[in-house]
Amino acid sequence: MKENRIRILYIDDEVHNLNAFRASFRRSYEIYTASSAQEGKLLLKSIDVHIIIADQKMPVSTGVDFFNEIKDQLPDPIRILLTGYTDVEDIIEAINKGHIFSYVKKPWDEYELHNTISNAFEMYQARKQLKEKITELEKINDELNRFIYSTSHDLRSPLMSVLGIINLARLDNSVKDPNGYVDMIESCILKLDGFIQKIIEYYRNSRLEVEYEKIDFDSLLQECIAAFKPQNTAIEFQLNIDQPVDFKGDTFRISVILNNLISNAVKYQKLDEVNPKVNLTVKVEPHKATIWIEDNGIGILSEHLNNIFKMFFRSKNNNKPGSGIGLYIVKEALNKIGGTINVESKYGEGTQFEITIPNRNDFDS
Amino acid sequence: MISIPDLRIILIDDNEIDLVLHEKLITLQQISRTVLSFSSASKALEYLTSNINLHRIPPTVILLDIQMPEMDGFEFLQAFARFPPKMQSQCHIVMVSSSLDYGDINRTDANPLVVKLLKKPLLAKDLKETVGEIFRDF
Repeated sequence: MKENRIRILYIDDEVHNLNAFRASFRRSYEIYTASSAQEGKLLLKSIDVHIIIADQKMPVSTGVDFFNEIKDQLPDPIRILLTGYTDVEDIIEAINKGHIFSYVKKPWDEYELHNTISNAFEMYQARKQLKEKITELEKINDELNRFIYSTSHDLRSPLMSVLGIINLARLDNSVKDPNGYVDMIESCILKLDGFIQKIIEYYRNSRLEVEYEKIDFDSLLQECIAAFKPQNTAIEFQLNIDQPVDFKGDTFRISVILNNLISNAVKYQKLDEVNPKVNLTVKVEPHKATIWIEDNGIGILSEHLNNIFKMFFRSKNNNKPGSGIGLYIVKEALNKIGGTINVESKYGEGTQFEITIPNRNDFDS
Repeated sequence: MISIPDLRIILIDDNEIDLVLHEKLITLQQISRTVLSFSSASKALEYLTSNINLHRIPPTVILLDIQMPEMDGFEFLQAFARFPPKMQSQCHIVMVSSSLDYGDINRTDANPLVVKLLKKPLLAKDLKETVGEIFRDF
């Protein structure tokens, strides 16, 4: 007998039905029969079947009762109810209580029953594949978690050692480096680390649950400015905050968004600009916050504006290529918290981003 | 220079290079005269255990790495939490890590034994400040 045959258990208290079923279907399927629900349960302990067909009207336990009893222990086999009556109540009850795939009228039409069995088996296989896929995905998810954790540690830790060595070398003046190679090493390491941090940020954004807490935009933006100021001390930051009401939002994602946008505003300044500026304006309303980030930097080519939020897109015309992931993360983070972003830019004159973020303060009360 | 003559700093890190780096940084910046390096948390625990019966335990700062094989920083903290209070009050634990993992950072913040988490690369300025804060009242 072939291993991959469809295995069917048929339960019916009328023995001649069992025999007839066997006679008609034994060539196509591997058939097991039982003359009562009790006997059927016993059989199921030793044999894994794909499909169970049960007659509704049996003494002691009806087909529906039987299906209802076994559905928790044996959720996998597909259930078909066989009934002499087309009693709607029975059928509704069967479908609701016993998780039944289909019902077939008695006496059965051989062709129809073949069809039903074949559909049921397809369903069985589809469910099985789905289960396997879920297990597989869970495993991959878990591995991804561990991978990111080790990236954040194992990949960064030697880089941090190198930076430590560079710091030490400067401190004790033990390395003669008239050509500034150590500085070059440092800038490469910082770039690599920046990229690793972006990847971790992206991952965190896509996986971390959204959490709402009170946000004070003034202190949040002051922190951002303090962090970026050293990168270009010539830049004049202007902060305009109008926050008359409380704002609740996801702190992690909002700071990711602001950090990336401010970082760009600081990074893409014109080299010959006498008064480099970054203006940050926040307006908080009961249902949303709007934030404008404006710079007088190099601007973005109009033909590139449509692409800047794509992963790994880098604008051609700049001498400071980025990782091509920052604005993508901004967009993804905004998607997570239901925000929007708009950009206006004139090449050579500057860029303005406008973002809106829903205020979750409203939703709470 | 920090003026606690018998201050000692214990370094616990599985990364030999970081041990050397941190030791040099401390001596170069004259933060402490005594630096003891341990390449595993269990070796450090063994040493600290041998100190329990000392008549006087010198003021100690422990720079503890988080990610280490066998016994990691958090497991070290668990073991250290069972040390006598006299010992615990003399040992100030500063965690030093390159980890960006939120879980690690939150666990560090939540642990009452940890004074602070410093990021790698360890900067002389940060370490000086932290040690200064610990012994401000001395």
